[in-house]
Amino acid sequence: MRKLVIIPAYNEQGGIKKTVQDIQAHAPDFDYVVINDCSTDDTLAVCRKNGFHVINLPVNLGIGGSVQTGYLYAYANGYDVAVQFDGDGQHNAKYLDEMADRLAKEKLDMVIGSRYIKKEGFQSSGMRRAGIRYFSGLIRLVTGKRITDPTSGMRMAGRSVIALYAKNYPKDYPEPESVTVALKKGKRVGEVPVQMNARTEGISSISPRKSVYYMIKVSLAILIAAVRGERV
Amino acid sequence: MNLRVQVFVAVMLVAALLWIVNMVRKEALDIRFALSWLTVGAVVLVLDIFPGIMDNLVRLLGIELPVNMMFFFGFCFTLLLLFILTVKVSRQEEHIKRLVQEMALLQDAVCKEKGEALKENDE
Repeated sequence: MRKLVIIPAYNEQGGIKKTVQDIQAHAPDFDYVVINDCSTDDTLAVCRKNGFHVINLPVNLGIGGSVQTGYLYAYANGYDVAVQFDGDGQHNAKYLDEMADRLAKEKLDMVIGSRYIKKEGFQSSGMRRAGIRYFSGLIRLVTGKRITDPTSGMRMAGRSVIALYAKNYPKDYPEPESVTVALKKGKRVGEVPVQMNARTEGISSISPRKSVYYMIKVSLAILIAAVRGERV
Repeated sequence: MNLRVQVFVAVMLVAALLWIVNMVRKEALDIRFALSWLTVGAVVLVLDIFPGIMDNLVRLLGIELPVNMMFFFGFCFTLLLLFILTVKVSRQEEHIKRLVQEMALLQDAVCKEKGEALKENDE
């Protein structure tokens, strides 16, 4: 069983070292790869200096294109399991084994690390929680499945979802849309309760100004994914 | 429409058409993109030389002023062209993304192979 951690990193010079060390210490069964999305800070230099395995994108592709590069790598190198893991210290590697166990035991295609099952750890702001509940409801409406944390960036995929995402992955704000696509394709998706940390490094990609675009774009993307259904 | 305006418009159009053809000749503009522009130029040139066609068309469509028809069709054409261009940009974005990803993965594979070759030399 070969397992890979995909760490998309854009300007994460402050958090990347801690993230990789966390994985090495708490999830030693996992290989990892940092996808440097053409950072303008010293992310690449920090990775090289510490001897981290890093794939360097020559132009900035955004979060979707970076994560997809990780899935392409996982697919080409025959990994059975690939998990996305933020490079800014929000995620905890100690949950990775539990997620992998769940994936294997229940023969799931995908496992999401959810903040909202036990409601412990960093819970995000009230506005964001309302947005997340809204997406959760929308996904339930179009797929009939309940996903408590559709925006979680901590997601583990089995071989079939790796193949799916390597072929097709949304470009920006990809999480809720890609879960919907997986569910619509009949993939089995489970959730494991995790605690996340408030971000210590970097800034959120979703500013208030962008949140309007975010809500509209992701809603539309979910609806289109629902209509598209089995195709693609 | 008086003759002066007709000549003025015709000169402008011919100049524009020559410019487009020259861009294609210099391979600065793909002929597939030039075709739509050349077609529009040719159509407007015909309407300019034979104003009667336009008068008949306007009457046929029930539009009051010929100039309104020109604006309307010009606007429709511009929108269509813009839409086609955004479709092309989307496709190119996807192509570029794939190329960047493949390149990054290849670079990684080459580095790995080189690294392993170096290690073998050490042993």
